[in-house]
Amino acid sequence: MTNQRSSNSRPGFTTRGTPFFLIGLFAQLGCGGTDAGSASNGPPVAEEDRYGGTVVVSGVSDIQTMNSLVTTDYTSDQHQAFVLFAPLARLDEEFKAQPYLARSWEINADTSQVILHLREDAAWHDGVPVTANDVILTFNLAKNPATGFPNASYFDFWDAAEVIDSLTVRFTIRSHNEPFFGWARTALVPAHILSGTPPEELAKHPFGSQSPVGNGPFRFVERTSDAWVFEANEDFPQDLGGRPYLDRLVYRQIEDHVTRAAELRVGGIDLAVDLIPPVLSGLESSAEVRVVDIDAPEYDFIAWNSKRPFFQDPQVRRALTMAIDRGAMVRALRSGHGSVATGPLGPWHWAYDATWSPLPVDPDSARALLDAAGWKDSDGDGIRDRDGQPFRFDLMIAPNPEREDIAVIVQAGLAAVGIDVQIAIREVAAMIPAVTGPERRYDAVLVGNVSDMIVDERDSWACDQIGQPNQFTSYCNPSLDVVMDSIPIVQDREVLGGLLRRFHEIIAADQPYTFLFYLDRINGVRGVQGVEFGVRGDWLSVHDWWVHPNDRR
Amino acid sequence: MTLIFVILHLAPGDPTSTYFSPRIPPEVLEQMRRNMGLDQPIHVQYVQWLRLSLSGDFGYSYSEFRPVTSVLADHLPNTLLLGTVSLVLIFVVGCFIGAVQAVRKYSKLDSVLTFFALLIYSVPGFWLGLMLVLLVSSGALGWLNLPVSGMLDVNHEFMSPIGRMADIARHLVMPTIALGLASAAGVARYMRGELLEVIGQDYIRTARAKGLRESSVIWRHALRNALLPVITLLGLYLPLLIGGTVVIEVVFAWPGMGRLLYDGILARDYPLVTAASFLFAVIVLAGNLLADLLYAAVDPRIRLGARE
Repeated sequence: MTNQRSSNSRPGFTTRGTPFFLIGLFAQLGCGGTDAGSASNGPPVAEEDRYGGTVVVSGVSDIQTMNSLVTTDYTSDQHQAFVLFAPLARLDEEFKAQPYLARSWEINADTSQVILHLREDAAWHDGVPVTANDVILTFNLAKNPATGFPNASYFDFWDAAEVIDSLTVRFTIRSHNEPFFGWARTALVPAHILSGTPPEELAKHPFGSQSPVGNGPFRFVERTSDAWVFEANEDFPQDLGGRPYLDRLVYRQIEDHVTRAAELRVGGIDLAVDLIPPVLSGLESSAEVRVVDIDAPEYDFIAWNSKRPFFQDPQVRRALTMAIDRGAMVRALRSGHGSVATGPLGPWHWAYDATWSPLPVDPDSARALLDAAGWKDSDGDGIRDRDGQPFRFDLMIAPNPEREDIAVIVQAGLAAVGIDVQIAIREVAAMIPAVTGPERRYDAVLVGNVSDMIVDERDSWACDQIGQPNQFTSYCNPSLDVVMDSIPIVQDREVLGGLLRRFHEIIAADQPYTFLFYLDRINGVRGVQGVEFGVRGDWLSVHDWWVHPNDRR
Repeated sequence: MTLIFVILHLAPGDPTSTYFSPRIPPEVLEQMRRNMGLDQPIHVQYVQWLRLSLSGDFGYSYSEFRPVTSVLADHLPNTLLLGTVSLVLIFVVGCFIGAVQAVRKYSKLDSVLTFFALLIYSVPGFWLGLMLVLLVSSGALGWLNLPVSGMLDVNHEFMSPIGRMADIARHLVMPTIALGLASAAGVARYMRGELLEVIGQDYIRTARAKGLRESSVIWRHALRNALLPVITLLGLYLPLLIGGTVVIEVVFAWPGMGRLLYDGILARDYPLVTAASFLFAVIVLAGNLLADLLYAAVDPRIRLGARE
């Protein structure tokens, strides 16, 4: 596990709240559009005619800052990676890092040294060339503990850097299966603006959210109280595609899902990211709006606190999973936009094995497993007990309607096998210290998770991490530790795939989490062409977005 | 402000809670706390915060990554605009409907207006807002061609000055209705009652006896006196209005203080929340002062008393 689920910027613990009865009304009121997407159905548009126009994108959360060294939220990350900046590397369709702003790199035979060559034609938006000094400053700040760089683990395997010439940097690294992943996720910062800034003051520098200067396909225009506005960078290197098609790109935060869907319907926005299933029927009936499902690297799960006597036995945890109807959640709450989860790897990952199947929903088998573990209803009150302790616990959730509905399904499923679940709703900021604090003041917690392509989850599962904040299940399996120790350093993809599958299978067998379902990410597009969504992000193809001249604002 | 500072710091979690991820080591979160000054004992933080606040520096927003004063400067005018227009709606519409009801007391019109006033008064603003969003976007009220959310059109900067004003006015329609309509219904009820009481007074009978037209009796003599208690409502409605902006601004993505406060509380953005709360308190006090001044404007006895 690498990054908690955060389509609205906050890891896993997010509110996505509009009462469902209102969303139902939205569906009722939806009455269809008037015109098929003219851009997609009209005559072909010549390359030169694609230039121009404005696209307005909206999501749940705002862009916090453009300083890649101080934030981790999804919306900011996407704008840093694809809009305002051009990272040194970019992940290809197989999630292998390829040179992007870096012209090339060479890694020596024992993978201890990297020579990185920068492009000659890359420049910051204020005209200053991108040089080795920018790379060195970014690297040094990322490695400096005083920065408090949230993604510092990206560079755990990078030890030192030195300038060879203005366009060449030599790095000392330790073996890793995808060392450039961090450079694909971390935009450079400009040395000519930030070089004198103390690391601990970096977050406060106006560069981040008041006057960011990038080096990507779009340049910053303004941040109003309502929106972030970018315009095409006319000088973007030709080898990287040159000037993007759009003249302007605008990002607006609209927290309310009903309002965001309504804006997409009426054309107030052109692209809505992270819609929720209940608002879709009003959009799917519109000929002007295209709803897109993406295999997102996200899943919802219940973490069982193994410090509690209920959850120490893997067979009991398997029983809990088998008593919970996860398919019903996908059908009823996600309207089929997702699939039942089998473990930490999902269909988005290249190592995923399509033959894996989730534990079945089988209350009878669950009862048998609980009986075998000594949890029986000895006093006839309908609740199982062992050594005088009833099987009764709190399931902690954040206040959002979907999670509340999930919790009710969990509660009903477990009640049917004689387990009493109390739903405890806690604000996110209160939930996190309860779960991650040393006292582990929780029994079970229902949260979501966003996974990275690089699977390095020792912090969450390794036995020697028990007691640390991120190992909040206190689960331990030495066999898993052996596998996890090998994963980061294995270069061969075939071997790595085997290790990752083993990692998945051990966790799936032990069920320290009950993996509920993988989510589809749902976006809506209205009249924008060239849009490609994927696991790598929603702004992945922003450089190539274009709007038919007849559809421009 | 001190109370808000203490309550905020007593709430579970802190600004780094929003960064929680198993990928982020605890020592990094600890460094982030240090960089935010949250490693200091709370009394030290309080003294530092108080010293800066008294000099007009509200600190640095942890969630907006810029000075709080800059954030407030962006958002405060938007909330003042929405609040002021809503207040005008509340009192103009409320007083007008209440006066009509009083003049036509016990008529069918009075009954119908009473029914709708009570109906609207009992509708939560956020629900009314979402209904408006749905109706305008679905076609039922689509012919109005009103913007669904936000404050400015994407092409606002390319519009003429008059076009810009019209653009903002169009964006104001729905949030203003959602924020103010229920209160307007309440004011209408007050106004009806007050005006009916005034109409029964001797001086009104005298005015009629000396041959004044009925419209002159009502609008010049009765209404002015009936307004006096209604004006006191201004001070009462302001806190309600401020509270309402939190929800309405989220529903309509209106870039104001209410939405900012909502996001700030969730992010445990201590400097932003304390400063925003302080400003809201100032606005409420200013509103009460305004109510007192209006009192004097409509009641000569108060002005005379002041001179004495």
